[in-house]
Amino acid sequence: MEPVRQGHAGIVDLLDRVLDKGLILNADLIISLAGVPLIAVSLRAAIASVETMAKYGMMRELISLPQENPR
Amino acid sequence: MMEKGLYLYCVVAGNETRGLEIKGIDGQPVLTMPIDDLTAVVQECQTPIANDDMKILSDLVLIHQAVIDLAWERFQTIVPFSFGTVVVERDGKSKEENLREWLERESETLKEKLRRLEGKAEYGVQVSWEPAKMMEKITRNDKEVRSLQEEIHSKGTGTAYLLRQKLERLVKERMEVAADAYFKEFFQGVRGQVEEVRVEKVRKEDPSRQMLMNLSCLTPKGETSKLGEFLDRITKIEGFHVRFTGPWPPYSFVNF
Repeated sequence: MEPVRQGHAGIVDLLDRVLDKGLILNADLIISLAGVPLIAVSLRAAIASVETMAKYGMMRELISLPQENPR
Repeated sequence: MMEKGLYLYCVVAGNETRGLEIKGIDGQPVLTMPIDDLTAVVQECQTPIANDDMKILSDLVLIHQAVIDLAWERFQTIVPFSFGTVVVERDGKSKEENLREWLERESETLKEKLRRLEGKAEYGVQVSWEPAKMMEKITRNDKEVRSLQEEIHSKGTGTAYLLRQKLERLVKERMEVAADAYFKEFFQGVRGQVEEVRVEKVRKEDPSRQMLMNLSCLTPKGETSKLGEFLDRITKIEGFHVRFTGPWPPYSFVNF
């Protein structure tokens, strides 16, 4: 069995990592995390089902992680 | 009110002066800031960086991951920041000064993390089962369950109702014991194939399935064949499903 990054499982795993993990900078005075906890909640709500993701066109876009000019 | 900030992507070892050939949030260039044998990968931004628009949010998450992926490819070992970490101007110090001071203060810890993560990648392993299928299998040879089932058949409606409740509780108990045993067995198996494991919260699945185990595993990048073989053995058990994702930058192994 080979690991994959694509598909719904890949997206959910990716969001879990990007939103909840990674280094937390514990220095309240110099950082601004405004709105991020809320972002996590809304994104999670949106990925609750594959159907919702497909509806918003997020499936396709999240699958092909852009390497250049992502915007 | 909007405020200027430095969006942090990751920290890498060494003094890197070349930026990354990728556009960050708002199309801004991605820069490198070398400080004391460490380099922060950053960009200028306005903060707060996001609003409630789902499309914009998913774009931001995508950009975060795309930049980190490129940095990971270029620098091999990185300590990724959590999404949305922005250093701002405070106490009369510029955002650059604040970042520099933080990096200097955390220098030893960060270098230690980078050493520990060198050449490694993270993989996600999730094991689910189908309780409906497993229930039959687990209780098939269970004497207590069998005799309760037979008793229900032979009793009148009122008694049968109470016995059915008793049976439900008993089966639930047996399922919990089985789930626990499977978890232990799979966990030991996975742990034997990788360097570090972290147990994550299980997620909700579609109704026919239940997640038993959600693990983040750290292992040398690309060295997953043994883990893959072990997971193949789990998928062969009827009623079990495995998800195996990665390679991811080591997001789950940087906070300690």
